[in-house]
Amino acid sequence: MGIFFCGFHLNAQKYITKEGNIELFSKTPLFTIEAVNKKVASIVDFGNGDVVATTLVRSFKFHEALVEDHFNENYMESEKFPKASFKGKVINFKDVDLKKNGDYKITIKGTLTMHGETNPVDAQGTITIKDGKVSGKTQFNVSLAAYKIRVEESYKKSINDDIRLSITFDYAPLAN
Amino acid sequence: MKDLLIIRLILILSLTSGVVRAQDDLLNSLDKDIAEDVHYVGYTFKSTHIINGQSVENMKKNQLDFRINHRFGELNSGLFNLYGLDNALINFSFDYGITDRLMIGVRRGTYEKTYDGSLKYLLFRQCTGKRNFPVTVSYYTDFSANTLLYSAPLQRRLAYVHQLLIARKFNDKLSIQLSPSFVHRNSVQANDVNDVYALGFGGRYKLRRRVALTWEYFYCSHTAKSDTYYNPVALGVDIETGGHVFQLFITNSRPMVEKGMIAETTGDITHNGLYLGFNISRVFALGKHKEKEKE
Repeated sequence: MGIFFCGFHLNAQKYITKEGNIELFSKTPLFTIEAVNKKVASIVDFGNGDVVATTLVRSFKFHEALVEDHFNENYMESEKFPKASFKGKVINFKDVDLKKNGDYKITIKGTLTMHGETNPVDAQGTITIKDGKVSGKTQFNVSLAAYKIRVEESYKKSINDDIRLSITFDYAPLAN
Repeated sequence: MKDLLIIRLILILSLTSGVVRAQDDLLNSLDKDIAEDVHYVGYTFKSTHIINGQSVENMKKNQLDFRINHRFGELNSGLFNLYGLDNALINFSFDYGITDRLMIGVRRGTYEKTYDGSLKYLLFRQCTGKRNFPVTVSYYTDFSANTLLYSAPLQRRLAYVHQLLIARKFNDKLSIQLSPSFVHRNSVQANDVNDVYALGFGGRYKLRRRVALTWEYFYCSHTAKSDTYYNPVALGVDIETGGHVFQLFITNSRPMVEKGMIAETTGDITHNGLYLGFNISRVFALGKHKEKEKE
């Protein structure tokens, strides 16, 4: 009986989104690259701080079709490496009171896998609790070189090595 | 003491691997949420043209392709003509994506001072997943008018082209296209035919990220019995830079409008009939920026 309740309790602290948002941004004096992906799935577990997120690389949408084409074909090789995934922990998950409205500063540590490479991620973010709704925001940079995304010399002036990722997830309780 | 340390190590290891496994399970549980029912294969070709002929590719919605195409003079016409560069036919064209599937175009070419309008519609997309379709199919039609100064009513100056473009992307590198085509010219020379049927074979092979080898050949119904006309053939490379696609090639066909390319190619590859060709495509993204739409 105890185990049953324990399990139930843990599940009640899991939150999920299937339409998380990632904005990608790179700016150089020559060229600005912006894209939005609205099809990111993520689960955060306030029972133990686990947080995971995953998406299809080709779900990033660009204003210029040609830039989207280059992103998929030349750089991310999205046919060969279709997914990008994060797994890690909200280190200070115990600071978040799910029953109390407010903004909670959080620290996230984990690993991001894309283009066949895995690198550590260490980021600050915010969890906002509003009337039982949970949303998470964070922003961090990824280095193209660290993921072996090769930019030709002649394009280095147009594409920043550090790509900024701005992440917004509006979670709902995971129904079990 | 040592035993204790080992036990502790094992404990720590099993605990951390348990954590990682739990995260992997969570991650795996999301796979179905991001899975696409149908995956459409894109980027079959780099440009709306393979070389002389149309490819299955369209401009997407609100994208404008401005092309400047050149066919130079005979390659072996000597240094005096700079190997044909002195004698170029030029085409300007604008192709615009009304939707992701429908593209319209206008063009003006030196050959017969032709003005033409075209329409390309994406009928089927190559896809895998719950639905499988082996090829991408587009329909292309072109309507052109010869505006040379000679006495003929407008009606006699018109020509029509219909093409079914059927392409398959076999892998990252190799794409092959078949193009059954029909050309009707309202008026022709006495020894010529109004209707020409043709079957085009084209393809590309990516040599590097931004460089591809391209080839194209049209088998035409009227060339076997003709002394004047030949089947158009071309071999070239696509070079892609930031916003441009450059297509450099050698061909026996100088007219760039499809009715001319398919029905009126005069270059005999065995007798000096080879020309250098050069297409430049510049794509502009028009319309409101997605970010601004949101505000």
